[in-house]
Order: sequence, then structure tokens, then C-alpha cells
Amino acid sequence: MTRLPVKLTVNGEACEGEVEPRTLLVHFLRDHLGLTGTHVGCVVGECGACSVMVDGALVKSCLMLAVQAHERTVTTIEGLASGGTLDPVQEAFVNGFALQCGFCTPGFVMAAHALLDRNPDPSEEEIRHDLSSNLCMCTGYVQIVEAVKNAAARRRK
Amino acid sequence: MTTNLHVGTSARSKEAPRHVAGRGRYVDDLVLPRMLHACVLRSPYAHAHIRSVTVAGGLQASGVRGVLTPQDVKALSRPFKPGRYAAGLRVPIPEYAGAIGKVRYVGEPVAIIAADTGAAAEDALELIEVEYEPLPPVSSPEAAVTADAPLIYEELGSNIAWQGQVSYGDVDAAFQRADRIVRENLKIHRYSSTPLEPFACLAEHTPERLTIWCNSQSPDVIYDAITEALGIDNVRVIVPDIGGGFGQKIHLIRKYAVLTALMAVKTGRPVKWIEDRSEHMMAGGHSCEQQFEVEAAVKADGEVLGLKIVDTDDVGGSISTLTIHFTNKLNNLFNTYRVQHLRLEGRSVLTNRCPVVPNRGIGKPGMCFVWERMMDRIAQELGLDAIAVRRRNLITKDQFPYTTPNGNIHGSGDYDTLLNKALANVGYHDFRKRQTESRAARTQETLIGIGVVIGVEPGGRNAARDMAIFPQSKQMPGAGGVEGATVKLEKNGSVVFRLGSPSCGQSHETTAAQIVADVLGVRPEQIAMAGTFDSSLSPWGVSSSNSGNNFHLYDVGAVHGAATRLREKVLTLAAHVLKTERALLRIEDGVVVGRLPRSGAAESVSFAELGKIAYANQALLPPGMEGGLEATYYHSHPHADPLMLPDMLGRVRAQYTFSSAAHAAIVEVDLETGRVRVLRYVIVSDNGTLINPSVVDGQIYGSAAHGISVALGEGFVYGDDGQLLTLTLLDYGKSTTLETPAIEIEHYPVPDPFTTLGQKAAGEGAAIPSPAAIASAVEDALAPLGVKVRQLPLSPERVWQLIRDEKAAGR
Repeated sequence: MTRLPVKLTVNGEACEGEVEPRTLLVHFLRDHLGLTGTHVGCVVGECGACSVMVDGALVKSCLMLAVQAHERTVTTIEGLASGGTLDPVQEAFVNGFALQCGFCTPGFVMAAHALLDRNPDPSEEEIRHDLSSNLCMCTGYVQIVEAVKNAAARRRK
Repeated sequence: MTTNLHVGTSARSKEAPRHVAGRGRYVDDLVLPRMLHACVLRSPYAHAHIRSVTVAGGLQASGVRGVLTPQDVKALSRPFKPGRYAAGLRVPIPEYAGAIGKVRYVGEPVAIIAADTGAAAEDALELIEVEYEPLPPVSSPEAAVTADAPLIYEELGSNIAWQGQVSYGDVDAAFQRADRIVRENLKIHRYSSTPLEPFACLAEHTPERLTIWCNSQSPDVIYDAITEALGIDNVRVIVPDIGGGFGQKIHLIRKYAVLTALMAVKTGRPVKWIEDRSEHMMAGGHSCEQQFEVEAAVKADGEVLGLKIVDTDDVGGSISTLTIHFTNKLNNLFNTYRVQHLRLEGRSVLTNRCPVVPNRGIGKPGMCFVWERMMDRIAQELGLDAIAVRRRNLITKDQFPYTTPNGNIHGSGDYDTLLNKALANVGYHDFRKRQTESRAARTQETLIGIGVVIGVEPGGRNAARDMAIFPQSKQMPGAGGVEGATVKLEKNGSVVFRLGSPSCGQSHETTAAQIVADVLGVRPEQIAMAGTFDSSLSPWGVSSSNSGNNFHLYDVGAVHGAATRLREKVLTLAAHVLKTERALLRIEDGVVVGRLPRSGAAESVSFAELGKIAYANQALLPPGMEGGLEATYYHSHPHADPLMLPDMLGRVRAQYTFSSAAHAAIVEVDLETGRVRVLRYVIVSDNGTLINPSVVDGQIYGSAAHGISVALGEGFVYGDDGQLLTLTLLDYGKSTTLETPAIEIEHYPVPDPFTTLGQKAAGEGAAIPSPAAIASAVEDALAPLGVKVRQLPLSPERVWQLIRDEKAAGR
């Protein structure tokens, strides 16, 4: 099968590879780059476990081909902590018990980031509206919503 | 002497930091050298004979390295032994990992293919030609029992695969004494807990052993399955992080573990298989559709004398979990009530639908639904208040420990207080006023209603439970419970432990570390879990399963016991080193401190110093003391007896602890669309001693949210042709942040007198009463229209239909 070159920046590092045109971005990140924090829960854009940022916008990486990310900038869950220090959203999720099995967590953290970048002081209703892009089977969302509120407060400081 | 510095606090999560950084380690994240990727070919038919399976040429060129057809599976493997979930099977029916000769549900695995990449394996499925002879599908339990219904298993001669009953007390006499018999037919639909990570297996066969990494909640099932099916005794089952379980990953996953392992044996290369979402929806296992014909014998004052239930369980297209939903009803057969007479008749009916599996409470939500719907119905028929009828029948505070007629011992509880607190927290009386006013306004497009229910959460499984209905069974699956833990003080003074069971997100590491910290006198930061489950390293037993709410009982008991043993060793060594008596020693933050017997001078020795001695300096060990500082303890529930094994009356201790909770839901029903919105959801919960309150909160939020989602419309829908119509999470109707209410919790812990720390279960509990709470609230909202809620889910379509039917009937 034809293979196409892909060059992109992931978490600040230049990456390249050759992929089949049909390769999804999520599979490129996981299988070619070893960034296994981005998870596959449904592969049809419903669960949000594969959410990443592409040029600053929240993207479900199962709905994007790797070649579509050519010459673009991608941030995955691995790119949030700097020097081993968790960022405010990650820290709020830890402190607030906002996860259980952890499988949906990277996606929720990325979605929360995207929300707070756009709206630094969201209401509970706005948080719930925005995070409805992602599914969690464990938590009932209560502690996730609280963590996002706390992260927002910390980021505003 | 230990102190509770950490137990009872919301100690910082040990698991969360790696998960928020994307550093969780799930099966799909693992890569082995020369690893192949497998893909499963599944049946497109609900019911068909497999006439032939042929594999086209040119496989090698497509990157394919191995294929297993039904012929191969039959030739190279053996059928599973009937497990405990198939108790009651009247004819031995061999079940292999893949379909042999016939398919009985859409998605049943027929063949497996392995290739260099996952994509190549998926492409190559087209190279397998299966000739099916379609048979008429049995698409519902009603269709299954008609005289001319096609037989799903010819060997059984009927689609009613099992029929039986349990009976406690004198039911007929109770019904003769009744002032009134209240009757109702109830139904719960098929649903699942849809863990976000589907099934995953990675198998490697080396000359010395078969190793499988598998996201199984019950590694013993995988361990036994590999041995039974492949005849390999030297099996190692490793369970890394699991992306949610809820019961889904206990049973059917063994088929895929065997197929993956067989492929690894055949190809001589490591093989990874990852299920996809639609595969999981069609073949990963569902909860039963359950139908109940219920009769309650009641006195005019609301006292319930007895209950008769005829339960029909749609068990799908497999005999391997024949009675699982029935036997699990023994766990909460009497809910929170002191009723003495009950008969439960059961029928397990085969259909051409997905096989059924354990699922967040399995059978217990149905049992609670029966009790709580009946309490409302009894109140309506007798003209009494529904809360008062419940109160009239609750087990009272002074009756604990209370033994139910079927042998369960509720160690502690205060059900009346739970109800009172729930009513107060939800503002019950104010709500009734508001409701009356809003009904009087008569201009409403919506109606509001409230439902208040109560239920128990059984915890800690007795492996012999299923024997209660099958005392004639010769294959006893085990009895009581056994599970271990190991705690070790390392050479540098840090502490590691190993548990016997895997975690699916219930914070086992955090919780166990808190217990070890208190027993040993070190900070939780000094303690780590040595690794996830590994059958070659973990001290495991029949209860080493992330199911049956086992953790709170067995793991907690085991890790507490192991830490206590280790503490003894530490103190023995320290007394020798400090030349003092053990009784004069205490442990403070990883340092053993004592006073010398004569001078009274304070002396101390750190864990790190003791570690160095124990592992590296035999000269300083007390004479005869074994080197090392490690202890293992296997916990069994001290109160397993009496009734660990069933007696002549069919009584058995099905589970060992009983958490309880009252749930109050306020809903708003849109009369135009039938849409139900949950406005408030209040829980008052008794989970015994709380080890980590925030962890327990999370378990309650999550299980309540699932039960609410189930009640509001989440579920599987089949067409008449046996095709599953809900293959995605969207079609399936899983609730998001928008539909899930901001659940409110109050803890009202009543410690259990028989457990290590007074703890009771906290896992699946809130999924048990929540469907009943929503049903009760919706019925209350629609009371002015005369609507009765008899079945779930209360999807907009169904609610709209209920409203329309009542209007059409002119009521």
C-alpha cells in the first residue's frame, strides 16, 4: 500500500514518519510515536478518550488522519506536564479524585484544557455542556466537574 | 497498637498522577518483539449453521501469519468446563472459545486471523469464506418459548434452559393470612456497563510457559480457561491497568484469551488482540432482560407478609452463564425488609442475543426494582403513604445483626435513619407542597415527581452461593472466600505490597497504602504497590477477583493481616537491636522508638537500618530469626460460617457484608416529548467505616450515574431479525455530563461488627437502587395522568407512549 510522509510537531518536538494514507492520527501517535496516553475507546468520535490539541484546537484524534496533521502542531496528554510538574488541570484531577480507571482521563484533561483556554471562568452549566463531548463510565462526572472548577480557579490566580 | 492517622482520610490518590500524565499502562500500550496483531471474524447472523469455512490463498502476501478456523479451534483446543455460572445445566454441552458448527448470536467469534499489523489483519478477514445456512432467529424470550420456536441448543429440547425455585418461610400460609394480594408485572431491559477500554489480550508462548497479559477482572477465570482449553498448566496471567470492569471483564473475555493464546502457540510469536467498540457492544456481554410476575401478600396496615416472584431471565445465546442473574438475587432477596416468606421461581430462557455477564450489581438491581416498585404499588392499593409502607417493613435498628430468611447476615445498619435523612436532604415535604401548587396551576407543559427508595449493597462473595439452588451439583466451585496480600519492608526502609486481586479503578493502591501506613507507622508516601496482578507473584485465591465487591472484605483483610505480621517482625528485630523489650517500643513515622529497660534512655532505630540488617547483616539478627522483612497473609471472612455451605432449606450466606443507602430523586417530565430530566438526586449511604471518603464518594457517584442512565434510556435494542441496533455508545444512549445530575451524598456510616475495620462494600452499590428511584419518581410525576411505570428504560419514547396510552384511554 502507498505510504505517505508525515512531518509534524508533537509536544514541541519535530516528528516524522511514513504512514498508509488511512492511518488515523490516534494510531500514528500511539503506534509510531509511542505516545500511549492517547486512548482508543470507540474510534468513531463518541467517547473522547483520544482527544488531543491540533494547532490549539481540541480534536478527537480518531476522526483525523495522520496525513491531515502534516505540518501541524499537536499536543497530547504527555505534553502538558513540564519537567515532571503537573499542570493545574492535571493537579486538580489528582486532588479531586476526578478519575477512577484512568482510561478516559487523558481525553477529559485535554477537553478541560481546551475549555479553560477559551473560557477561563466557566459556570457549572458551561463545564457540563463542554465536557459532554467525552464519556466516563466510572465517575458519574461529579468529581470531574468539580476538578475543572478548581483548575479554573487555580489558573486564574 | 496502631493508630488511625490515614484510614478515614481522603489521602492523595496514588494512581491518579500517572493517569493524568498519560502514563497508565494498559494492555494495548504493551509491545513485544515480533508481535502480531489479531482480528476476530464474527457471525453476521443471529442464528445459523456453519456449513463450511475456507481460507483463500495468498495469505502470506497480505501479511497474514496465522488463521484459526472453527476446525482448528476444535482440533487444537478443548471446551471449557461448565463454570459456576452454568450451575443447573441439565445436559453437558461443550462450549469452545469459538463457534463450532453453529452461531447463536450476532458477533459470535467464528475465526481469528493474525498479521503483521492490525490493519492487515482486519483487511484479511475478507479472505475467510464462511458458508452459513441461516436459521430463523429467536429474537425475544417470548418468541423463545412458543411451541414452534427454533431450538437454540437442540440438545436441551427446549429454549427454557433452566427452571427452578427457591422458597423461604411458609409462603402459602402468608398468602392465606393476607388482607389483600397486590399483583404487578415488571421488566428490566438489557444493558451493560460499557467499560471504556474494551477487551484486550496479549499472549506469548515460550518453551517454559504461556504468558498472557489480559484486562481481566477475574484472572482466575483466564488462568483456568487457558489450562482447560489448551491443556497448558504453566500459565502466567498478568493484569496491567484495566480501563474499567464493572463485571463485563469477568467471563466472556476468556474466549478471546484462549483464541489469542492459541494463536500465539500456533504462530510461535507474541499475539495482541484488541476488541473494538462495536465488537464489545454485540459480543462482550449484556445484563439479562428480566421479567417479573410479582404477587405481594399484605395486611391492610401495609405489613408485607410474603412475596411470590416468577422471574424470566433472557440469557442470550450461550449456556455458560445460565443462572447467573438468578443466583445473584439471593444476595439481596429481601432488600432491607424483615419479610419472612418469599418464593422466587426462575426460568432461564435462551435467545439469539448476546450472552449475559455480571454487570454492576447483576440481578440485584432487578431484585431492588421488584421490592421498591411493589412498595409503591402496595401503598397505592391500600391508600397509604409509600414511605410509611416502607417504614412498616424495614428491619429495625435493634434487630442487627439480622439474619434474612435465606441466610444472609446483615451485620449492621440503620435503615430508618437513612430514609429520614434522605427525606430531609431532598426537602421532601417542601417538594410535596411545590408539587401540589404546580399541579393546581394546570397550565404546565411539565410535571414534577419524587421517588424515595432504599436498598442494600452486598459485599464479599461466598464462592458456594450457587450451590443453594443446586445442592446436587458435584462440581463445587469453591466455598467461602480466600485471598492474600504481601507486605515487605525493603532494604532502604520503604514499604511495598502486593494484593491478590486486580483493580479496575477503585483505588486499591491508595486504600491499601492507607491501611499499611497505619498498621506499620509509616507515611503513605513511603509505601507503593509492587506491581499489578501477576499470577506467578500475587498471593491469590478464589476471592481474588474484582467482582462481588470483594476488595473491601478480602483485600483489606489480607493487607491488614500481612502488615500486622510484618509489624510483629519489625518489632522483634528492633527489640533485639535496641536491647529492650517489645512492649516498650512504638513506631513513629518509620522509626522504632523505645526506652531502655534500665536507664529509661530513649533509643531508636529506623526502618532503613532494620532493612539493612534483615537483608544484609545476619550477625545482628536475633538468634534463629529468619532474614528478610516480609509477610503474607490470606484473609477469609471470620463470619463465613454459619451457612457457608447451603443447608437443607437452601439457606446460604450469599455475601458477607451489607452496605445500604436511601436514594431520593426529583424528576421533571416533559409531557410533549416524554423526556425526563433529573433535577435532584440525593443519596444517604452507610458503607461502614470509610477508609478513604473521596474514593467511596467516587464509587457512589459512578454507580448512581450508571443506574440513572440505565433508567433514562441507556440500553441495547435488537431488531426482530436478531441484529443489534445499538452498536455505538451514541445509539446505546450512554449519559453524558448533560443528562447526569449533580448527585449529592451524605455518609451515615454504621461500622460492621465482623469486618477488619468495620468497613462494608462500596462499588456497585448505588447502581442497585437508582433504577428503582427514577421509576418511582417518574410514576409520581405522572400520577395525575394515571401512568404506571412497570418497565425500564424510561426513554423519551417510552414515557411519551405511556402518556399517550393513558390519554387515549381517556383517563
